[in-house]
Amino acid sequence: MEFYTYVNIFETKGLEYLLLMSFLVLFILLLRYLTSGKEKKAAAEERRRYQPTDALE
Amino acid sequence: MTTATATNGFTGELTRFIRFFLQELKPRGKWLTPFNVISIPTILLGLAILYVRFTQGLGSVTNLNQQFPLGLWISFDVITGVAFAGGAYVITFAVYVMRVEKYHPIVRVTVLNGLLAYIFYAGALTLDLGRPWHIINPIIGNSYGYNAVLFLVSWHFLLYMLTMAVEFSPVVAEWARLEKVRKFLSGLTLGAVIFGITLSILHQSGLGALFLMAKPKIHPLWYSEFIPILFFVSSIYAGLAMVVFEGTISHRVFRSLIPKDSHHSYEAIILGLGKGAAVTMFVYYFLQALIFIHEKRWQLITDFWGVWYLIEVLGFVLVPCVMFAYAVRNRNIGVVKVAATLALLGIILNRLNVTMIAFNWYAEHRYYPSWQEYVVTLMVVFTEIWVFRWVVTRMPVFSKT
Repeated sequence: MEFYTYVNIFETKGLEYLLLMSFLVLFILLLRYLTSGKEKKAAAEERRRYQPTDALE
Repeated sequence: MTTATATNGFTGELTRFIRFFLQELKPRGKWLTPFNVISIPTILLGLAILYVRFTQGLGSVTNLNQQFPLGLWISFDVITGVAFAGGAYVITFAVYVMRVEKYHPIVRVTVLNGLLAYIFYAGALTLDLGRPWHIINPIIGNSYGYNAVLFLVSWHFLLYMLTMAVEFSPVVAEWARLEKVRKFLSGLTLGAVIFGITLSILHQSGLGALFLMAKPKIHPLWYSEFIPILFFVSSIYAGLAMVVFEGTISHRVFRSLIPKDSHHSYEAIILGLGKGAAVTMFVYYFLQALIFIHEKRWQLITDFWGVWYLIEVLGFVLVPCVMFAYAVRNRNIGVVKVAATLALLGIILNRLNVTMIAFNWYAEHRYYPSWQEYVVTLMVVFTEIWVFRWVVTRMPVFSKT
């Protein structure tokens, strides 16, 4: 009876799968990074600035 | 009676337009500027070289031969220039299809840039054809193959130039004070934009597909069956980076022509473009990494070509991508501009590598462009800038009249 004692990451295209999974994770992190910090504050500030004054009253 | 009145009205309108146009042709502003001093002699010298090229053949002014049929003119003017013009379809998509109004102030100037880039850079294709009069063959159906990538590319170039002319035509009508014509042409814009996006996606990738048949000639680090996808994705961030680069120069040179409210939105536009470029470059970088692993290129990066490839992918894709992301998060316009310049240099490097530097990489005698090829390339760029300047100083490109 044979057992899989060795998995060749190159032959199984394991690296491609790992790369794709890391891409998806990193892509979400990049989007979060881009829409936070000063950028997010500025967008909120811009929204506040263009809010009609009567809505606050 | 009615026909005679209509004819008189049309003649009168035509006469008015011709007078107006002749008036507009007169030069404005100072003549002795650094740009004029450099560009005028270059354009004149370039025209003289082109005269020799068309009377005595390509070999008289270029270093092209049977082994190296693609030189600087094709590599830089056509392949790189068309990638730089990608901003037109990206911005029109954002504004007219996705309705992102933030980018509305730059639509006109971006479309103008795209139109001129196609006219001049794709037009420069005729310079590099041994028998330039054959350029019409794919259009008129004389000995062409329906399955050829070049057939697709040539038809798309023609159709996309016409589409961009339609997209820009309301500005011309506004300038000529033809209100009814402007209204009619404005109605065509959305259709033209959608058609233009379809054409762009296909021919940006089609330019890459042209090199699929050159597998034995291109270094394996640059050859890939996914070249069309790489060309398409890179054209998106090339276009965005070009808009940032061109916008920076226009903002300085044509400051007086830009309305004051646009000055306020300038920062938001540049940061938005930087964000788009960061995301696209990230995707492009991962595509490159995936292809690298999929095609088992590990052993190829140990020599000079490997280092050259890493410089291109790490130095001119990953680095500007990180810079764009950093700049957007910290709202640093200066870093966006530097990243855009690096990204543009990366596109030049990539396109030159595929078409020229890593093409016939094993050849004993390499191709180096002649000085005449450099002068003609500069001539094409300068002439485009001259036309661009003429248009923006006369037509309502930066603002509506």
